[in-house]
Amino acid sequence: MNKLLKKPKQPLPSSQQGRYERFYLTENPFPTEPVNKDSSDRRINGEIYEKDIRVKEYTQIEEAFLKQPQSDLNRLRLGYISDTSYIGRGNGKSAFLVNLMRKINQDYCLDISNDLNKCFALYVTPEPGGRTKRFASFVDLLFSSILQSKIINTCLALIRLDAIIIAYPDIDVASLFSNEEELIHCLSSPSDLSERGIEPSQLTDTISENEFLQVLPPDFPLSAKRRGFLSRFITEEDFINYFKRLKNGKEKIDFIFSHMVYLFMAAGFNGAYILVDDFERIPDFQSGRDRKDFAIELRSCLLDGPYVNARYGFYNMFLVLHAGVPQLIVDAWSSSGLGNRYPLMPKVDASHLVIFDKLNREHISMLLKKYLSTYRLEQVECDDLAPFTPAAVSLIAEINENNAAGILMACRNLLEYAANDPSQTIIDEDFIRNKSKDLEGDDLGKSPIIDASNTTDLMKKATEK
Amino acid sequence: MTITTKPLQSVKKFYFLDYFLILLQSIEKQSQREGVFDVFKILKQKHRLGESKYKKLTEEREPLTERQQQRYRYTFKQVVEESKDYGLIEESNEGLLTLTDEGGRLLKDYEFHGEIKFNRSVFKLMEERYNAFRILLEFLYTANPSRSGVLIFPHYSPLELHFKRKNMQTTGDIVRYTEKLKEKLTDDINHYLKRLVNLDDKNEEILGKLIKDGVLPKKESDSFNSEDYNKITKRIRDFWITYFLKDLYRSPYTMSTFELWIYRARQIGIIHATEIYPTLNGKLVYPTSVIVEHTASPDFASIYQYNDGKHLFLHFPIQESFQEKFVEALYSGYVTLRRYYKNYFINLAALREIVCHNLKISSQLFEHYLNEAYRLNLIGELGIRISLEVDKLPEETNAMYLKHEPVMVDGSYRNIIAIDLAKGEENE
Repeated sequence: MNKLLKKPKQPLPSSQQGRYERFYLTENPFPTEPVNKDSSDRRINGEIYEKDIRVKEYTQIEEAFLKQPQSDLNRLRLGYISDTSYIGRGNGKSAFLVNLMRKINQDYCLDISNDLNKCFALYVTPEPGGRTKRFASFVDLLFSSILQSKIINTCLALIRLDAIIIAYPDIDVASLFSNEEELIHCLSSPSDLSERGIEPSQLTDTISENEFLQVLPPDFPLSAKRRGFLSRFITEEDFINYFKRLKNGKEKIDFIFSHMVYLFMAAGFNGAYILVDDFERIPDFQSGRDRKDFAIELRSCLLDGPYVNARYGFYNMFLVLHAGVPQLIVDAWSSSGLGNRYPLMPKVDASHLVIFDKLNREHISMLLKKYLSTYRLEQVECDDLAPFTPAAVSLIAEINENNAAGILMACRNLLEYAANDPSQTIIDEDFIRNKSKDLEGDDLGKSPIIDASNTTDLMKKATEK
Repeated sequence: MTITTKPLQSVKKFYFLDYFLILLQSIEKQSQREGVFDVFKILKQKHRLGESKYKKLTEEREPLTERQQQRYRYTFKQVVEESKDYGLIEESNEGLLTLTDEGGRLLKDYEFHGEIKFNRSVFKLMEERYNAFRILLEFLYTANPSRSGVLIFPHYSPLELHFKRKNMQTTGDIVRYTEKLKEKLTDDINHYLKRLVNLDDKNEEILGKLIKDGVLPKKESDSFNSEDYNKITKRIRDFWITYFLKDLYRSPYTMSTFELWIYRARQIGIIHATEIYPTLNGKLVYPTSVIVEHTASPDFASIYQYNDGKHLFLHFPIQESFQEKFVEALYSGYVTLRRYYKNYFINLAALREIVCHNLKISSQLFEHYLNEAYRLNLIGELGIRISLEVDKLPEETNAMYLKHEPVMVDGSYRNIIAIDLAKGEENE
């Protein structure tokens, strides 16, 4: 009984504050890593995004690209998002690109273009290790981002949906599925279709009449010529296997820039956006010859080669260029002719060149507010920037030369320091000055970096027997 | 006791060893002094040689100003005199310049064996005359024997201590800056040299000097002439560097002589000096060679023998096993920097400084081993994957001189590096 009646001498306090509660926050809102679109952490996957900061850049892209009818063959097909600042890394380009992709995919561009265009967007990043050196490996990369985006599944579903409407005019399609996800899932599974009274084999006949599928090579999955007793239920897997069998070079290029274009058009799309982040990872590893070859292939695929894409201008491409990259590729671009159509360094303002400016003081406040508001405690009234004072924000911006990644990292650290000190409720200039040593990493880095213990003692090495 | 044949101070000005090369090349083409100077000017621009220890970023295309002409002529005169001194060239009574046999031999060295061989030949001539490198090396090892001759010269500009130029108007502002600077230097001396010093008197001394010379007004609230700002900060900087050199390290040489010879030594690979060591504000100097009679280690190469039987051995590991050690140092340096900057991409020049310091090798060797590592990486025979990027090209900056000498890999200059551990299954 005793143990049931006795109470501990040091009970836990009944009201224990959360670590960030006195700053009116639920967690430390600032990210620890650069943008990674596949992360589940909102701070890292680009979901916390203040679109107002990049209004200028976005509007330019919207006006010059997204809103232009895809049917106009003379519109722009290639654009550059170019960073001019030396500390270009961590300026928010990846976050911008990921959000541009989401914005386009949200309603397949129909909302933006006033129903003129139905386009999807792909996000592509070349390998950092220099593996994406030739155009062939770039094509492989495009295919893997097509797979990642799950657009093939969507297209197959859309094609089947059209077929259902034709083959089963009495069925009210809308009532069959409760949401888009379910629709795509069902239409990708023969058993789910049968359950709903739709016979997959009957759909195949209707599908084969789709005008865009008529011209596909016979072994292409979903090709109209592939009919007969082989009329299997085609899935993404068939495309993967088919692609694996193709040879590098012409076959794969044809696949991406001709055959897939037909497939996308069969599904009702009239265009797509390919957003290539960190483009310099390609030319950095290329010789002068490689660069030229790459530019020629790119020109041929996008503009005037023997590909379906070049005829329709189906894919629109954006290359993200860090400062210095235009100089690196300008020769290849001009000798391939690509530079004439889309100059890398035009003398006057050009709508295909989107200049990615450095953030200003106002942008930085907006950015911080966005992060803070996402992790703000509910029903509290405080300043949008709390616990940071406006002067503190200016100082942080100044120390980090207005670099977004640097500022976010500094804010994260400052908040951690402040959380460790129970008397600290705001973060002002004085607090930053006191901590600026740590912000610059003095304490953190000094000892390990210039430590004598792991360095060679030359005299000892020379005189050892 | 080392006996010098000529005092170190008789060389007045730093110039790259390349200057000797372009002078010899000029004399090969011309012999009239004026004609030689004309070719010299052209070659100087072609090699992007500046008047300081940094190379220029761009070739100057505009015609030279009168002042530039004068500066160039002064450099030219110095190089001619020093070359005569080494017996590389001769001047006749009529003012005709000609190559001696020795000068001709050095040019051949360059043509057939390249820059390293040429620099070493010039080094031998210098060492015969001045013994300068031996004196310097012995000074470094004596000044900090416990750390293998590593010397630091920390310094912080007003901006680095968060004093903005526009807020620096009065004597009081400068006093506040020097106070903060004094604190930082005291900390650094304690941290790096494990010595407790009181710099109050020294701080008073420099302020007193500036006031006495009339550069700073006596009253704290009075403004100084804003044109003198750079002069003031430079004098403060030089004062503290001299303090480190003379008072702390007990160097027998002045700051300018010391600087001149360490940067000469760096080109030969004898001593490494850097102003961009990560996390250190200021300069770091350490030997990459030793002076001993004999060494059992195969990682050293003798490039000079002295009369007393001692050799100057460069730390020059060429064994295959060193490549592995290099890659280890490269990776661990990269990880340290990545942790520190919390960024996947690291400034290659910063990484170079860490690796050179840890392994005590010259930047030339660093470049050699990095190229080799990169080649192995491309053919997939390395445990790590290296990605090198250009990012901003040096030519695009507004700066005139190349402070962070870039690293040349695979035929082009690289500024940024990222490293990954290679995954076993990806060895395609």
